[in-house]
Amino acid sequence: MEIGDTMDYYFLLFAIMAVGAGIFTITVRDALPSALGLLTVFIALAALYLHLNAPLIAIFQVSIYAGAILVLVVFVIMLLITPDEELESRQKNISYRTLGAILGVYLSVLLVIGIKGIDQIIVQKGLPDGFGHPSLIGTLFFKKYILHFEMASVLLLVALIAAIYLAKKKNI
Amino acid sequence: MAGINEYIILACILFGLGVIGFLTRRNALILFMSVELMLNSINLMLVTFSASRADMGGQVMVLFIFAVAAAEVAVGLAILICLFKHMKSVDINKFDLLKW
Repeated sequence: MEIGDTMDYYFLLFAIMAVGAGIFTITVRDALPSALGLLTVFIALAALYLHLNAPLIAIFQVSIYAGAILVLVVFVIMLLITPDEELESRQKNISYRTLGAILGVYLSVLLVIGIKGIDQIIVQKGLPDGFGHPSLIGTLFFKKYILHFEMASVLLLVALIAAIYLAKKKNI
Repeated sequence: MAGINEYIILACILFGLGVIGFLTRRNALILFMSVELMLNSINLMLVTFSASRADMGGQVMVLFIFAVAAAEVAVGLAILICLFKHMKSVDINKFDLLKW
C-alpha cells in the first residue's frame, strides 16, 4: 500500500509535531497552554488527513475541532480559572501518578503490538478516482447513511437543550 | 516510507498519551482535553483504514464522531460549569461527594 512513498518527510514532520504537542498537552501545568498544545495536535492531524486523501475531513478538523470545540474549551477555561485560585493541577499522590503513566504506556504498547502487521490481512486495492472528494462523501451521506445522519442531528438537538438547561442560572 | 503501520502506531501513541493524561492529571479541563486527544487518535485510525481499504465509509464515520464530540463538549462543559458553581474548583479530587 502506498499512501505516500514520496512524501515521507511530510508524515515524519507532522507525526513528530503531533506527538510532541500531545506530550506538551498532558504535561504542562496550566490549562491554557495545554489547550494550545491540543490545537497544535489538531492542526498536525489535519495535515495528515490531507495526506490520506481526506480533504473534507481535514477542513472539518480545522473548522470544527480547532475552530469551534477548542474555542469553547478556551472560553470555559477563562470562565472558570480565577487568577487568585491556587490550582494544583497534578495528581499529588505519586503512586497514582506513576500507576496511571505505566497503565497508559502499557495500553499503548499493547495496542501497537496487537495491530502490528495488520496491513497483511487487509485487502489492498488502489484508490479509485476521486476518492475522498466532498461530493462523493455527500452522496454517501444522504443515500446510504441517511438514518445515521438524522440520528446525529437529533443527538445534537438533545445536547443543545441539555447544555442550555444545565447552564441555566435558576436551577442551581 | 509512511505506510499504514506508521499511521496506526502514531494513532496508538496519541491514544496512549490521552490515557496517560486522563489518569495522571487532576484539573478537570485537562482531563477533558485528554478525552479529545483520544477521540482524535481514533479519527486518525478510521481515516487510515478508510484510505487503505478504499472505502469511504470510514470518512463518513469520522464525520459522525465529530457530531458526537461536539455534543460531548457542549454537555460536558455545561456540567463542568455547574460543578464549578457548586464546589468553586475544577480539581477532581475535591469532587468526592459520592465517594464511599
